[in-house]
Formats: sequence, C-alpha cells, structure tokens
Amino acid sequence: MAERPEDLNLPNAVITRIIKEALPDGVSTSKEARSAISRAASVFVLCATSCANSFAMKGKCKTLNASDVLSAMQEVELQWFMTPLKEALEAYRREQKRQEGSCDFFGKRDSETATLIGQFDLSCLLTRIVRQLLIPSFPPHPPKK
Amino acid sequence: MAALAAGKGAFREEEGTGGDAAAPQLHAPTSAPGARLSRLPLARVKALVKADPDVTLAGQEAIFILARAAELFVETIAKDAYCCAQQGKRKTLQRRDLDNAIEAVDEFAFLEGTLD
Repeated sequence: MAERPEDLNLPNAVITRIIKEALPDGVSTSKEARSAISRAASVFVLCATSCANSFAMKGKCKTLNASDVLSAMQEVELQWFMTPLKEALEAYRREQKRQEGSCDFFGKRDSETATLIGQFDLSCLLTRIVRQLLIPSFPPHPPKK
Repeated sequence: MAALAAGKGAFREEEGTGGDAAAPQLHAPTSAPGARLSRLPLARVKALVKADPDVTLAGQEAIFILARAAELFVETIAKDAYCCAQQGKRKTLQRRDLDNAIEAVDEFAFLEGTLD
C-alpha cells in the first residue's frame, strides 16, 4: 500500500491536546508552532525507530521490541523518559494480559510479540484459524476413474 | 538560556516524579480496565515505523512505547518552547520559540534543519 504524506503526520487534534495539557492555563499556541511540533514528533519517532533498530540488529534480532526502544531513549540522551515509559509498559502489559484472559475461545494466543509489518490484520488471523478447523484430518479420497 | 536550563531541570523533575499524576486520569497509564494508555493512535505510529526500510518486524509493545515516547517528547518540547516565550514576555507560543528551544537544548539537536 503506497504511503501518503499525511500518513506520516500525527493527528493534529491529539498533538494540540497534548500541548494544551502540558502548558499552564491561559497559554495559547500559534498554528505554525503546533504544526512544527507535530512535524518534530514525527521526526522523533523516525529517529527513535532507526536507533532502536540498530540495537535490534546488534542483538541479531529481526523484531523491534520494547527494550530496543528503551535503549534508544538512553542513546539519544532522553534518560528522563525511562521511568514514565517503563511504568507505561507495565500498565500496557497488564492490560494485554487482562484482555488475553477474555480471549480463551481460540486457545492460547500464538507468539503475540512479533507483528509482521503489513500483516497486522485480524481478518487474516481469523481466516487462518477457520482454515485450520476445516482441514480434514485424513487424506482426501482418490479421484474416481 | 540559564532560565531555560533551570526551567528544563524543573520540567524534567516533574516528568520523572510521575508528572502524569497531574494529567487527567483518563490519559494516565493506570491499571483500571479499559483505561486509555496512549493518546496517539498506534496505527499512525506503526505507519511511521513502517516508513523505515531497515525495519522488518516490530512488536506491539515497541509501537506502544514509541507512541508514549512521542507524547512525552511533545510535552517536553512544548514546555521548553514555553520557557522561551516567557523570556519574551508572551503567552502565545510562536514558531521562533520552538526554534530557540531546539537550538538551546542539546537533546533536540537531531531536529535542526528538519522542520523547514
């Protein structure tokens, strides 16, 4: 799927809300400044991804994981991000475990940590499960002569 | 710039000691079921990660942490830019405040020349 330029921008409404909550009441932000901060955040994600990927490749791992991102934060000297990020990660894992507990119908979830880029698609997963259920356990009958 | 550095130190401490506690409960990472853990949509962050040709696979946790880090980054840079606006006795953040903050803070050096 071709990436449109706007796909690489973060939503303006969310960026505006984050800025508003970070600043004291009564402080406003010009449209130009908001737009620049949004672009800066996109550049930040791209740089952090590249740095994290370097750590993943050093560990001979093809999958980018949370510890690679945390290492990247230290590498770019944003150590003060570590505590809130670790707390957020713990909360995220607790939430994932809670959701897993309510998804036992399909049995134990397969390795959930690796998500192939471009295949994060629930419909593909469901199709695979249905196919597995429909495949007969014995070989098909030979064709009639 | 000393004021900016001092302000930077104060803001860093606030973030380090659970600055999220001051944020509305809905946005803070909590263990309450259904609580929103990330304000930025993970799909958009994933699109940015996917834009890197060297990245093959990315775990969901990595996408989430990048989203959360981006939020913290936006908060940090907004606060640093506000320090510059305060020095100019203004209550409206302008683009030049952001440029000054990028120039003043070493950690934002990667942004130089990228926002034009």
